[in-house]
Amino acid sequence: MITVSNLTRRFGPFTAVDDISFSLDKGEVVGFLGPNGAGKTTTMRMLTGFLPVTSGSITVAGFDVLRDSLEVRRRIGYLAESVPLYPEHRVEEMLLFQGRLHGLARAESRRRGAAVLERVGMLDRSRSIVGRLSKGQRQRIGLAVALLPDPEVLILDEPTSGLDPLQRIEVRSLVGDLANERTVLFSSHILPEIEAVAARVIILHKGRIAADGPKDALVDQLGGETFVRFEGVVGPDAEAARKLLSTLPGVASVEDHGQIGIHHRFRVHGTGDLREDVGALCMQRSWAVRELSWERPTLENLFARIAFEMEIAVPDPENGPGVTPPPATAKDGPALGRLDVLETPPAPPPQASKMLYNLNPFDGGAERDLSRPKPGEIAPETGSEACPPKGETGDGGQPSRELEA
Amino acid sequence: MRGWRAIYRRELSGFFFAPLVWILLCLALFYHAFFFLYALKRFGGEVNTSLSILLGGWPFWVLVIVLPPLLTMRMISEESRSGVLEFLLTAPVSDTAVVFGKAIAAVTVMATILSTTLLYGVVVHALGAPPDWGQLLTAWFGSILVAFLFTALGILVSASSGTPLIAAFFAIVLNVIFVAAPLAGAPTGGLLGDALSWVLEKINVISHFQGSFLTGAIDSAHVIFFVAWIAALLFLAVRVVEARRWLG
Repeated sequence: MITVSNLTRRFGPFTAVDDISFSLDKGEVVGFLGPNGAGKTTTMRMLTGFLPVTSGSITVAGFDVLRDSLEVRRRIGYLAESVPLYPEHRVEEMLLFQGRLHGLARAESRRRGAAVLERVGMLDRSRSIVGRLSKGQRQRIGLAVALLPDPEVLILDEPTSGLDPLQRIEVRSLVGDLANERTVLFSSHILPEIEAVAARVIILHKGRIAADGPKDALVDQLGGETFVRFEGVVGPDAEAARKLLSTLPGVASVEDHGQIGIHHRFRVHGTGDLREDVGALCMQRSWAVRELSWERPTLENLFARIAFEMEIAVPDPENGPGVTPPPATAKDGPALGRLDVLETPPAPPPQASKMLYNLNPFDGGAERDLSRPKPGEIAPETGSEACPPKGETGDGGQPSRELEA
Repeated sequence: MRGWRAIYRRELSGFFFAPLVWILLCLALFYHAFFFLYALKRFGGEVNTSLSILLGGWPFWVLVIVLPPLLTMRMISEESRSGVLEFLLTAPVSDTAVVFGKAIAAVTVMATILSTTLLYGVVVHALGAPPDWGQLLTAWFGSILVAFLFTALGILVSASSGTPLIAAFFAIVLNVIFVAAPLAGAPTGGLLGDALSWVLEKINVISHFQGSFLTGAIDSAHVIFFVAWIAALLFLAVRVVEARRWLG
């Protein structure tokens, strides 16, 4: 339906689109992905004939975009990113105008206008003035206008920008419906959109095609590593546990990702889904499991890797703001002002830094010594064991700690 | 050229949805009324002379210099900014149809404004002093051609500039040059003087208009003078719109 070969577009010395080639079959829905400035809009504009190409060729439904521009334009429904609509007109007038541009009879325009308005869920707004609609409504009217002539090819530039989540789902399902009848090329930088609708993804980066293919295959090939994340209480000897995990069948390597509190974290690399094997080992060893999950690459990882042109680690919630290993000196810092009062002299440094739990990431948190029971619990035999905070001598100390815990 | 009528209808309704055209119409009515009454008193009730002041005197030239740029200023410059131009240029109509439709819409508004003169003709006719209708209609037709020329110039400027205000300003300046340069005349003698006076003769709108239309004669040479200028300016405007595509 669309064949693009060796397409190049330069703006002065700047090359916006650099020698790209791809083709779309009839009925295909393709997501056009790329960071801002990757050349998505430029490519789409060239497909619609708005921008002339610097070199290369585009054919749409067998017509050359430059030579048979009008034939191509008749077959393309294009929704530009800016959603071009005349603000002073009513919705129905805008649809009639589009009908006239496409040479439709008035009655036919009205009939189709009602149909497309219903499709985008705006039938009740046909008398509204375009300029008074909200951004999301305008976006949907723009889509209706693009759909009115019943085009074979739909080119949608960021059709979901400015929509609320509910409307996004609607547009997504709309694009999904259209897929059966039409060829749809749509761009977005919202990855879930693309993931939900398009089976095939073309990723542009700096004017070149960085990846093109079925979404799943791309993600599997290029998206990054697969591993099982395991977090649990494995006892004091983490290294022994790591070695034990490595002996499981199918496991290639195990990384120790340190300790939070009493829990150790591991990444088990290997073939396939190793969750059950790890789980069985845990049961056998009586390890308390806190997390056992299979991390697979997502489109997001793939996109990030391409966009940043480097190996991007899988987003790591373990090192997120929730848990920080507070350095011993942090206690003296101004961020922990309240605790300064409670615990005036620094606690024994190495021990404390390992065993502290930071519950509130925003203000430095309330830190609790994990070797001691929660404040408020009566545990006489552990109370004297490890480094009692000296601040407890103050009367105000105890209740506030209780609150934080 | 298919589709220019869709553009034309859209532009025309766009005009009348915006306050600008109503304000201009209203001001033009006052303007015409003032000068018609003034001329009637000045020329002792001479109807034909008074009417031709409206279609050939300096009040007319001020009107056709100032109004067309105000009508055309937004046509391409603003649409290019708001992105609507992208919609039009990806619709199945040619660039020529887009420019032509817009030009005709602006000319229609100008014709409406200028036809107040016809209205006064009807009024004085009803009051028992029938004007020379042949001359009046010919002058009216000629005045539309003049307005068309300045509209085409306005569209060309609008296509070349980034904002409506800039477009209006430069269009008015160009219109003034167009009208005033032949009046100023060229220095006589010498190769340069001859060349300059030849050029001035080619842009002398006033003499082409007053020499034929205002006297009640439709002379093909003068019609062609206007049609050629209009076609040339619109052609240039289409090229400039095309160039906008290249700029992206």
